[in-house]
Amino acid sequence: MTLGYLISLEQINQLSLTDRQREEIIAFFAARDAELERLYRFDTADTERMVHVMPIMTVVREDKAVQLFTREALQAAAPETDEGYWCVPRVLE
Amino acid sequence: MKYETVIGLEVHVELATDSKIFCSCSAGSYGTEPNMHVCPACCGMPGMLPVVNKRVIDFGMKAGMMLNCHINRTTTFDKKNYYYPDLPSAFQTTQWFAPIAVKGLVEIKTSTGKKGIRIKQIHMEEDAGKLVHDIREDTTHIDFNRTSVPLIEIVSEPDLSSAEEVEAYLDRLKTLLRYARVAECEMAHGTMRCDVNLSVRPEGSNVLGVRSEMKNMNSIEAIKRAIDYETFRHIDAIENGTEELVQETRRWDDIKGMSFAMRTKETAGDYRYFPDPNVMPVVIDDKWYDGIKSSLPEFPEVRFERYTTELGLSEYDARRLTESIALCECFEAACKVTGNPKDCVNWITSEVMSILGVRGITYDQLKLDGNALGELIKLVSDSKVSRVNGRKILDAMFDDGTVSPAEYAASEGLIISTDTDLIDKVVAEVVAADPKSVADYKGGKEKALMALFGKCMRQLKGNCDPQVLRKALIAKINE
Repeated sequence: MTLGYLISLEQINQLSLTDRQREEIIAFFAARDAELERLYRFDTADTERMVHVMPIMTVVREDKAVQLFTREALQAAAPETDEGYWCVPRVLE
Repeated sequence: MKYETVIGLEVHVELATDSKIFCSCSAGSYGTEPNMHVCPACCGMPGMLPVVNKRVIDFGMKAGMMLNCHINRTTTFDKKNYYYPDLPSAFQTTQWFAPIAVKGLVEIKTSTGKKGIRIKQIHMEEDAGKLVHDIREDTTHIDFNRTSVPLIEIVSEPDLSSAEEVEAYLDRLKTLLRYARVAECEMAHGTMRCDVNLSVRPEGSNVLGVRSEMKNMNSIEAIKRAIDYETFRHIDAIENGTEELVQETRRWDDIKGMSFAMRTKETAGDYRYFPDPNVMPVVIDDKWYDGIKSSLPEFPEVRFERYTTELGLSEYDARRLTESIALCECFEAACKVTGNPKDCVNWITSEVMSILGVRGITYDQLKLDGNALGELIKLVSDSKVSRVNGRKILDAMFDDGTVSPAEYAASEGLIISTDTDLIDKVVAEVVAADPKSVADYKGGKEKALMALFGKCMRQLKGNCDPQVLRKALIAKINE
């Protein structure tokens, strides 16, 4: 994190930080960078990738189609609908 | 300088399941009213959790096995983030870190011979919704019926080098996936779509050139035209400096016959993939894996070989049958009843295919009971029903899948008569009523006999052995 980048982030987010706050943020990220540098030094070339953080598996369901909701119920809170469609301001194709 | 085209394909195939991948809404919404097959889960409403459809995993495995892939026995789902109105949750649940299948190989045949195309991976994911831009000028209309319909994406290595090879590759994918009955693969219905990644490089070079991607191509002819156009555009840019090539996504306009830049190509980092915390890993145990493995169909080439060598079919007939697994299964069931493969293939390639054509049914949609077809073929070959009436019975079998050929023939009076008294009576009446034809035949005009034969057959409603009738007719004339 550099001072220039932090100031640009401030502008984007409409923030106004004091010099002290800026110094603290830059120091915080510098410490994180140093920590990452330490982690990168580990040789993980032969380490098998962990599939998931917990040793559990998903449940699966039978392939059976059931319609539990009507279109009208789902669209009741929609800001705008037309002929069964949800509507949004026009987007590029 | 000579150049070669380098092409890799990302093929999206809609799986033929009844329900969606993560909820129980119907997946078969082609041609239905908008937003009739939706629920809070596939509409991305807050707090809804996905539940994986087992058949999607079954089909993903089957597809991987058909394409000679390694199946990841622990496979996971990840979130791919992008914001667009066709994706109500603002992320697509897909597979990034551990896809269902990797490292496969598909063999294709072209005019230059056989070639192996490596499959990088097959991953399962949900489809996005459909946007309609032309109902009102200021508004985009959204249909979520397609949201969360299960797809597999088959990613090839950049091993293809011409439009002909791409066509052969797509045909091969279609055949294999239809054989495994995992997908319809009908480009016209949008159940198979294709992204084409293309670059060119000097012939013999092993350095890849700047790549462009054309998305959502949905006809083989359009893909071929787009490949030819893009190849020319790339070479022209390199040779003549007509433009600076950049890695980008392009849209193919088939009417104008040109491609247009849409956006610079996103990279994986742009999508911020991360493991989906709401879908736990899918662990495929031996029982599940072996069950799918044992359900795989015989490959088309193996069947072709067996039909030509063991059953004695011509290469032409064997090729026509092996176009579709539904035809093959119908044929094999009919063969078991008749014991006569040649008769069965003749019926299928003439009468059955003719009815399919008239009714606009594809070979893969054939639901004819092969055992019943075998019974019908046997009735005709045993001269119990005429070929003409056999066709009528076959039509009735297409109308109603429960029709028994023998019972239908009996109830409709289509059994060939062995009543010689009746045949003699009809022959006598026809001969007496048409002395001119009788005289013409006696005078050497063979056609006159056919006219008399036709009249007799009509009176007998086709229920007569043609040989028996012909013999009786000649005997009567010569009396």
